[in-house]
Amino acid sequence: MAVLARASFGYLLRHPWQLVPALVGVCIGVAVMVAVDLAVDSARRAFELSMDAVNGEATHQLVGGPGGIDETVYVQLRVTEGITGIAPVVEAHVVAAGMTLTLLGLDPLAESDFRAWAAPGTLNEGIERVRALLTEPGTVLVSGRTARMLGVGRGDRFTLQANGRDVEARVAGLLSAEAGGEDARLDGLLVADIATAQEWLAMHGRLSRMDVRLPRVPAAALDRLTAALPPGVQLLEAEGRTRATAEMTAAFTTNLTAMSLLAMLVGVFLIYNSIGFAVVQRRTVFGYLRALGVTRGGLLALVLGEAIVLGAAGAALGLGAGFWLGERLLALVSRSINDLYFVVNVTSVTLDPGSLAKGFGAGVAATLLAALVPAAEAAGVPPRLAMTRAALEAGTVRALPWLALAGLVAAALAMLLLGLTERSLVAGLAALFLLVTGLALCIPAAVRLVARAATPVGALLGGAPGRLAVAGIGASLSRTAVAIVALGVAVSATVGVSVMVDSFRESVRAWIDGTLRSDVYVGVDRGTLDPALARDLVEVPGIEAWSTSRNVTLEGAAGRVALTALELPPGSFAGIRLRDTDPSATRQAFEERGAVLVSDSYAYRHGVAPGDSVLLPTAQGERRFPVAAVYQSYDAELDSLLMSRRTYDVFWDDPGIDSLGLRLEPGADVGATIDALRALAAGRQALVIRSNAEIRQLSMDIFDRTFVITDVLYWLALGVALVGLLAALLALQLERARELATLRALGMTPGELGAMVIVQSGCIGLLAGLAALPLGVLMAWLLVDVINRRAFGWQMELAVGPKALALALGLALTAAVAAALYPARRAARASPARAMREE
Amino acid sequence: MFRPLVTVLTVFSLGSPAGVPAQEPAASPRLSTVLSDRDRDGYAEARTPRPFSFPADHGPHPEYRNEWWYVTGNLDDADGRRFGFELTLFRFALAPEPAEEDAGKAAAGSAWRTRQVHLAHFAVTDVAAGRFRFAERHARGALGLAGATAEPFRVWVGDWWLREFPSSGEDAGNAWLLHAGTEELGATLTLVPEKPPVLNGENGLSQKSADPGNASYYYSISRIATRGTLRIDDAVYDVSGLSWLDREWGSSALADDQAGWDWFALQLSDGSDLMFYRLRRDDGSTDPMSAGTWIPARGDAVPLARGDVSLEPREHWESPRGGRYPVAWALSVPRLELELLIEPVLRDQELDVSVRYWEGAVDVSGRRSGSPVDGRGYVELTGYAE
Repeated sequence: MAVLARASFGYLLRHPWQLVPALVGVCIGVAVMVAVDLAVDSARRAFELSMDAVNGEATHQLVGGPGGIDETVYVQLRVTEGITGIAPVVEAHVVAAGMTLTLLGLDPLAESDFRAWAAPGTLNEGIERVRALLTEPGTVLVSGRTARMLGVGRGDRFTLQANGRDVEARVAGLLSAEAGGEDARLDGLLVADIATAQEWLAMHGRLSRMDVRLPRVPAAALDRLTAALPPGVQLLEAEGRTRATAEMTAAFTTNLTAMSLLAMLVGVFLIYNSIGFAVVQRRTVFGYLRALGVTRGGLLALVLGEAIVLGAAGAALGLGAGFWLGERLLALVSRSINDLYFVVNVTSVTLDPGSLAKGFGAGVAATLLAALVPAAEAAGVPPRLAMTRAALEAGTVRALPWLALAGLVAAALAMLLLGLTERSLVAGLAALFLLVTGLALCIPAAVRLVARAATPVGALLGGAPGRLAVAGIGASLSRTAVAIVALGVAVSATVGVSVMVDSFRESVRAWIDGTLRSDVYVGVDRGTLDPALARDLVEVPGIEAWSTSRNVTLEGAAGRVALTALELPPGSFAGIRLRDTDPSATRQAFEERGAVLVSDSYAYRHGVAPGDSVLLPTAQGERRFPVAAVYQSYDAELDSLLMSRRTYDVFWDDPGIDSLGLRLEPGADVGATIDALRALAAGRQALVIRSNAEIRQLSMDIFDRTFVITDVLYWLALGVALVGLLAALLALQLERARELATLRALGMTPGELGAMVIVQSGCIGLLAGLAALPLGVLMAWLLVDVINRRAFGWQMELAVGPKALALALGLALTAAVAAALYPARRAARASPARAMREE
Repeated sequence: MFRPLVTVLTVFSLGSPAGVPAQEPAASPRLSTVLSDRDRDGYAEARTPRPFSFPADHGPHPEYRNEWWYVTGNLDDADGRRFGFELTLFRFALAPEPAEEDAGKAAAGSAWRTRQVHLAHFAVTDVAAGRFRFAERHARGALGLAGATAEPFRVWVGDWWLREFPSSGEDAGNAWLLHAGTEELGATLTLVPEKPPVLNGENGLSQKSADPGNASYYYSISRIATRGTLRIDDAVYDVSGLSWLDREWGSSALADDQAGWDWFALQLSDGSDLMFYRLRRDDGSTDPMSAGTWIPARGDAVPLARGDVSLEPREHWESPRGGRYPVAWALSVPRLELELLIEPVLRDQELDVSVRYWEGAVDVSGRRSGSPVDGRGYVELTGYAE
C-alpha cells in the first residue's frame, strides 16, 4: 500500500494542474461556507453578548407599552408590595462619534442582583464612581474599549446625541466585568444613573422596563408579582425576549447559509471533475496494478484516500481563507442587521471551533462524495490495458441520457417537495437545489444535441477548424460535461439571483413610490420627535397637509408585532397598497372603527385575512382589533400592522412621533421649507429632514446594501465554475495532445489551432449559458415565489429583464473564453513532433 | 452608637457578595482613605451642643452626612421563647445638598435625582432554634423609595419602616410602629417609650476624637415597651419585651488611628439602663474618647467617661467567615458600684451584609451596690471582620 500511495501522490505531484483546481474547489467551497457561518455567528454572538450584559442576571422583565412603564409602578411594587429583586431600567440608543451606542440608565442601588459589573469594582474607585453617577448629572461608565473607540479616558467629556439633543457626558469610570480583561459584552454600552438617562432622553417619569430576578422557587413570587401588576404591564421571560429579537434575523441568515451552500455545490463539481480526470489518466496504470494483484477494493481505497488527503488539504486552506473572508463578510452582515433589525456592535470575528469543524468536515465529505464515482470507475478497470479513449467517449455518450433522466427525476422530486410543503423554508431551499442541480444534469445532453446540429453551421462559419471545433464539443463531453454542469449552475444562479433582486427592487421601488406621499419627512436619529415641536413644525408656511407616523414594537406572551400608527391627511390613505379590498370601506374601518391593516407577511405567517381579528397588548390589557385589509409591505420586521393614530391614542398612552410627513403647497420651495423647519427646531431637537427623493434613494441604498452579500457570494460561485472550466479544458487538451499535433502536422497553423481551442470553449460557454437561461429564470421564480415568500412572506412580481439574461450569456461566454486562453496558448506552442512521439 | 464605617462601606459595596472580582485586592480599606476630612466640606458639622426638640429631631437632618435610627430589642412569646431583633435605618449623603440656586435647576430634572442614599439592616435572633438571620435593603432617597420625614415621623427603605402611631388623633405620635420583613423573616411591632429621650455626651454632642469636627449629635431612648408579632418562616409569634432606640447624626468618621468599637446597651432589672461605647485603636487599646451614659430608673442621666468604666473580654468567638469577636465581657463601673457579666444569647450573631459586623442580644448578670441584678441588652462589635 505504501508503494501504491507513493505512486498515487507521485502522479498527482507531477500533474499539479490537476491537483490545483480540486484544491481550489474545496478551498473556495469551504471558505465561503465557513465565512458565512463565522459572520452570521459572530453577529449573533455579539448581539447575545450585549444582551447578556444589558439583561444581566434578570430572569424576567416587566414591559409596558410603547411609552414604557410609569416609574410609580416600580415604587408601588417596592414600597407598597415589598417586592425585591426588581430593578428599573431606562434604555435607548444614542449616537456619539458616529457610532450608535446603547445607553443603559440604571439605579446602582438596585443593581446588585442584576449586573455585578454595574456595581463598583473596587471600593475606593467605586465610591467615586457611584458618587459621580448619582450626584453629578451627565456622568457615564464605559468599557475601556468603548472609551478608546470614543477617544476618551476617565474624567474626559464628550458630546452625544440623545433623542435628537446634544448633551455632554463625562466618563466617571471604566467598566470591567472580568478581572483585568476586556469584556466584549460591554462594548458599545454607556452606563448612566437612571436620572441622567431620563433627563437626556426626556423620559421623565417613565421606565423602559424593569428587570426581575425571581428567587429559585419562583411560583409563589411569580404569583405575587403578577397579582400586583397594573394592566398594560406584562411579565415576560428575559431569555425569550432576547431570543425573539435574535430570531428576527433567522430568515435573513438562513438565506445567507443557502448561498454559501451554493458555492460548496459548485465546488463539488470541480472536485469531481479533477479526481475523475486523474483517474482517467491512470487507467493504464490501474490496469497494470490490477494485473499485479491489487484488488478492486485496494484501488477504491487508493482513490478515496487521495480524495481524503486532497479534501483535507483543500479544506485546511479553506479554513484560513474562510476566516479572512468572514472578517469582510461580517462588516456586510452586521451593517445589514443594523439597517434592518437591531443595533449590534461587532468588533471581531469569533473563532468558533464548531463552525471550523463543520466547514472542514463538509469539505472532506464533499470531496469524498465527489470522488465516489471516479473511485468506482477506477475499481472497475479490468486487469489489462485500459480501454481506448474512443470506447470511453462512447460510454459517456451512452450515459448522457441517463444523466439527463436522473436530473429530471431530481427536478420532479423538487416539484413534489414544493407541492408537499407549504411554509418550510428549508424544504423550499432543498427543492431549489434539487431542481437546479437536476436540470443542470440535463445540460450536457442538450449541449451534445445542439452541437451535433450546429456542426454544419460551424463549418460554414469557420471552415475546417470551425467544423472541428463544434464537432469536438460533443466528442469531448466525457471531459467537459461536468464543467458544463458547473458553469450552468453558476450562471443560472447569477441569472436567478439577479432576476430575483431586480424583481424585488422593482416591487420595492413601486411600493416606496406609492407609499411616500409627502414631500418632506422629519424625524430624529435614534429618537422620537417632541410632540410640541411637531405641532409647531406643521405651522410652517407652505405646508398643505401633514401626516405622522409612530413605529413601535408591541410585546406580548404571544410574541412581537411591529405596529405603525398613522395620522393621515385626506387622500393619503391611497398610499397604502391594499390587496384585493375596497379602499373606501377599508379606509372607513381603519379611521373610524378601530380596524387594523396587516402586512403581507403577517397575513401569510399567521393565516390572517380581512374579517378576522388580532389580539394586541394595550395599555389597558389585551384587546381584539378587527382586520380590515392586507397591505403590501416589504418591512424587514415580519409581523407588521397599521393602525390609525386615533385608535392608537385610545389604547396606548404614548404621545411619541417617529416621523412627520409634510406635503407642500403646489409651487412651494422644498429647500426653503426645510430651512424654515430647521430654523424652528434650532436649540430644541436635532432633526433629520429628508426630501421625498432622499428617502427614496436612502431606501434603495439600504435595499442594495442588503444584497451586496448575495452579489459577493454568487461571484464566488462563478469563480469556482471558471476555475473548473479551465481545468477541464487543460485536461482535454492534454488528452488530445496527439490529436492536436496531428492537426498541426496536417498543416494547421499554431494560430488556427489556438483559435480552434478558443472557439470550441466559447461555444461550450455559449451553449451552457443558453441552457442556463431558462434554468436561471426558473430559479428566480423559485426565489421570488417560494423562498422569499417562505422566508419573509413578501409578495413581489417576477420581472425578467433582457439585461440580466444578456449579462448571464455574456458571463458564460467570457468565462469560457477566459478559461480557454491559457490552454489555447499551450496548444499553439506545443511541438507537434514531441507530442506525436509521446505515448 | 455611631456607625459610620458600616454606613460608608455598605453604601459603596452595594451588597454583592458574589459580585465583581475586584481588580485590586479588596482588602478592608483604611477608613481614612474612604472618608478624609476633605469629605466633610459642604456638610453641617457637630461642633457645639445644640438644643434638641422632639418630635422634630426624630426626623431627618439632611445637611449632615450620616444619620441613623437604630432599634434593638429583646422579646419573648407567651411560652417564654426568646428572641432578639435589630432594625437599623441609615441615611447617607453622597454629596452635600445643593445650594438654593442649584436646587431650582434640579427641579426640572428626573425624579430619581438625589444625593441621599438609604439602607437598612434587619436581623432576628431565634434563641430556641439557635438561629440568627439577617437581611439588607438599600434604596435612593427619591420617589418615595426610601426617605425620612419629621412630621408625621416616618423613616423607611422600601417596605421596611419606622413611623409614629397612630398617625392621627389624640394619641398621635405617642407610639411608633416598626415593620420589616423578607420572604422568610418578618417583624411588626408597636413601640411605646417608657423613658424620655436621653442626650448622650455633652448635652447630646458626642465627641469621637480630639478633632473638634469629629463628633455627632446622639440621643437614645433606652427603654421602650414593645409588643407585636415576629414571623420566622411560616411560624408567627406574639411577642413582647423591651427595645432601645439610638439616634445619631453627624458628618465625621473615625479618626485615623481608630479601628472600630464595642457598644453596649443594657437594660437592668432595677430599672436602670447603661450605654457605653469603647472606641478601639489600631493597637487594640481603648481610645480616651470612649464614653457612655447611665440612665437611672428615675432622675437625671449620668455621663460616663472612659475612666469610669472598665471592660474585660471574657470569651471569644471565631467567625467562620473570618475574624475573632470578643462576645462575652466583664464590665464594671466602680462609681456606680456596678459589676456585670455580659454573655451572648447566641455566639454567632454576625451580620454578613455588605460589611460584616456582630450585633446581638445578650444576657446580663451581676451586682449593683451589693445586691444581685440582671438584665438584657444588645452589643455591637465592629472592626473585627477579616
